[in-house]
Amino acid sequence: MSRSWGTSALLWQLCLIGMLLAAWQVSATLWPAPYLPKLQTVLASFLNFFHGNLLFSAVLPSLYRFAIGFGVAVLLGSFIGLTLGYLRGLNEWVRPILEYLRFLPTVAILPAALLLFGATDGMRIFVIAFGSIFPVILAAMDGARRVDQVLIDVARVNGLTIPQRIFRVILPAVLPAIFAGIRIALSIALVMMVISELIAANDGLGHFILRSQRLFQTANVYAGVLLLGAIGFVLTACMLAIEGRFLAWYKGWRGAADAI
Amino acid sequence: MRTIAIIKGMAGFLAAIAVWELVRATGTIDSRSLPGIGAILQSMISGLATSDGLMPSVLATLRTWSMGLVIASILGTVVGVALALSPLVETVTRPIVEFLRPVPSVALIPVALLVLGIGLPMQLFMIVFAAIWPVIFSAKAGVEGVDPRQLETGRVFGLSRLASIWRIVLPAALPNIATGIRTASAIALVLTITVEMLVGRPGIGSFLENVRLNGLVTEMWSAIVLTGIVGYLVNGLFLMLEKRLIPWSAEHHV
Amino acid sequence: MRSDRAFRSSSEGVAVPSILAVESISKNYGSAPVLDGLKFEQRPGEFLSIVGPSGCGKSTLLRCIASLMQPNSGSVRHKGNTFAEPPSWLSIVFQDYSRALFPWLTVRQNVAFGLHHIGSRERDERVQAAVQAVNLTHAIDLYPWQLSGGMQQRCSLARSIVVRPELLLLDEPFASVDAQTRIDLQDLVIDLSRRMNLSTLLVTHDVEEAVYMSDRIVVLSTRPARVVEEITVDLPYPRDQLATKETPDFLRLRHQVYTLIRAQAKSNNN
Repeated sequence: MSRSWGTSALLWQLCLIGMLLAAWQVSATLWPAPYLPKLQTVLASFLNFFHGNLLFSAVLPSLYRFAIGFGVAVLLGSFIGLTLGYLRGLNEWVRPILEYLRFLPTVAILPAALLLFGATDGMRIFVIAFGSIFPVILAAMDGARRVDQVLIDVARVNGLTIPQRIFRVILPAVLPAIFAGIRIALSIALVMMVISELIAANDGLGHFILRSQRLFQTANVYAGVLLLGAIGFVLTACMLAIEGRFLAWYKGWRGAADAI
Repeated sequence: MRTIAIIKGMAGFLAAIAVWELVRATGTIDSRSLPGIGAILQSMISGLATSDGLMPSVLATLRTWSMGLVIASILGTVVGVALALSPLVETVTRPIVEFLRPVPSVALIPVALLVLGIGLPMQLFMIVFAAIWPVIFSAKAGVEGVDPRQLETGRVFGLSRLASIWRIVLPAALPNIATGIRTASAIALVLTITVEMLVGRPGIGSFLENVRLNGLVTEMWSAIVLTGIVGYLVNGLFLMLEKRLIPWSAEHHV
Repeated sequence: MRSDRAFRSSSEGVAVPSILAVESISKNYGSAPVLDGLKFEQRPGEFLSIVGPSGCGKSTLLRCIASLMQPNSGSVRHKGNTFAEPPSWLSIVFQDYSRALFPWLTVRQNVAFGLHHIGSRERDERVQAAVQAVNLTHAIDLYPWQLSGGMQQRCSLARSIVVRPELLLLDEPFASVDAQTRIDLQDLVIDLSRRMNLSTLLVTHDVEEAVYMSDRIVVLSTRPARVVEEITVDLPYPRDQLATKETPDFLRLRHQVYTLIRAQAKSNNN
């Protein structure tokens, strides 16, 4: 894409967005329906999230559960995956059960989590972590298995101990794979956060959206979805930024490898 | 070699089962919440054998799932190919795509309930909305990855634009599209079950919710285990189909 | 001090302990024998080349010498002693330069890789010196993917000499670079090994390269590898790509080694 039509592309994009919003507003005015609130009410509801009651009863509980569940998935998943991948012989033993758990649609464990933990934050965090840990484990495991033997030989010739080999050779080599796994885990964790709040919670964004729908407060429903989208967008952007910082070498390396 | 791998894998499963039984034996978790593996398997088999238990639920879920997946695959491929072939459309719609993609799909269930009610269309809409993204992006990447020399070859042989899409672009992009559909199939299964669970449409999801509310713990666990088997088989089926139908895919050579 | 190479004295009857003694080592992969009772010695300061037909097990031999792999029988001794892990007096330049550098480290960090036990000040100085010795100073802060093949291999070389090894192992180090780069690298390695008084063990399948660079050549058979013959190369130093390669001695040696290798390949085909 050339620079010269960068600005005109931006204009076209704004144009399309403007048209869609206008179409919404016009239909909301001409044919009022419960599912079609006016844009200004949606916007007002959206702004409500950032102060007072809703911030503490909807936004923060969700973010808190997400942060802990996702954090556990990333840290524990990387650790387990690296260990299993480093011990190459274990692969055939553990892979089938891991694959099974990975392809188990995670919603299905919600009833079990409810039974074991009750409708608590522990249950929601467990469900988020359980849903998102397997992509991280499998990615880290495959990454660790694929570390080039020559690099490990170089480390051995240079007299690195096994912990040094893990931190100076295996971990950096596996980081791209782990990040790929984390990217998949991120969207799963968000989905699990919402599902766990839709099914059993008395606070959090999922609960807020479902309650608003039952009370026919449609502007609130749309505002909640909008906020979840925004959270997803910001989290993805943050992760790409972290990735770019840690994996600058990888982009160039991949690019050079592709060029050959 | 292959049988040894299978035996090792089975041993992995057995070890997991042993851990389960160990947790039961030590009593860290109330054994009423954690039935024995034998009881779970027995309940699963009898549930599959009877006509009013698990079996109809599984079939209902698979029916809805396959309908949603077919729609998502076709629509996603069309959209993905269109986006790849027309940079203008791609640029103009990019903000919308970037805005919609990160929305956790399940958050739209209340919205879909508002607009479409609790029927099949609403369920299909949710499945398609969630599962279409991997198909779109893999189809787009596949088309963009087509070697220009192949297209030039097509022009040398006098293919029209439509013919070259059909005979060159699509086959070349097919391995990518297949991978996208495989990813989509797992997402579609999650959405099918979630909607069933939340709004009570027939299927595994509502079955699970019912047995949980009625305190039928063993039946609940057996349904969970079976759901995992379904998910595993679905993925395996798609892998097999890819190998069979797209032997030129580079993925098999790795 | 280098003009009178240390190993020469042994031929005059003074016993000099070998820096490396490979004593009848054998190695099998499963039931397939790869090395079959290999036996040779390397004297201190000697540039020794191992040549053999492609796929004869040269890299396996090198991995056994470096103790990256244990032979099924026989032993490898350094000044009379055996060793179990890759020792600190030894360093390797691996064949596949694009895989052997750490892609997430710059040239500077790659070269410093083996100096983890050394203070940062001395480390910096030694890295600088090693990088300068291989003419990479201008690229010291670049990542491997930003380097050409020859530059990547020079970076590997710097990483190996910066730890000041007694013995440098080179596993077909110039196999995948273009002809001009290969010539430059050959002269660089000869120069470095003489300046640093290194014992160098070069594994190669290129006969001309072996004759041009070495003091002595060990010729191997096809798999399973045995020593076919040891040939002393008494070409004078400094060696020159044109002058040396035009001398009758060079041509004679090249003919001799090449004939041995070809006989091996033929006997294998029949």
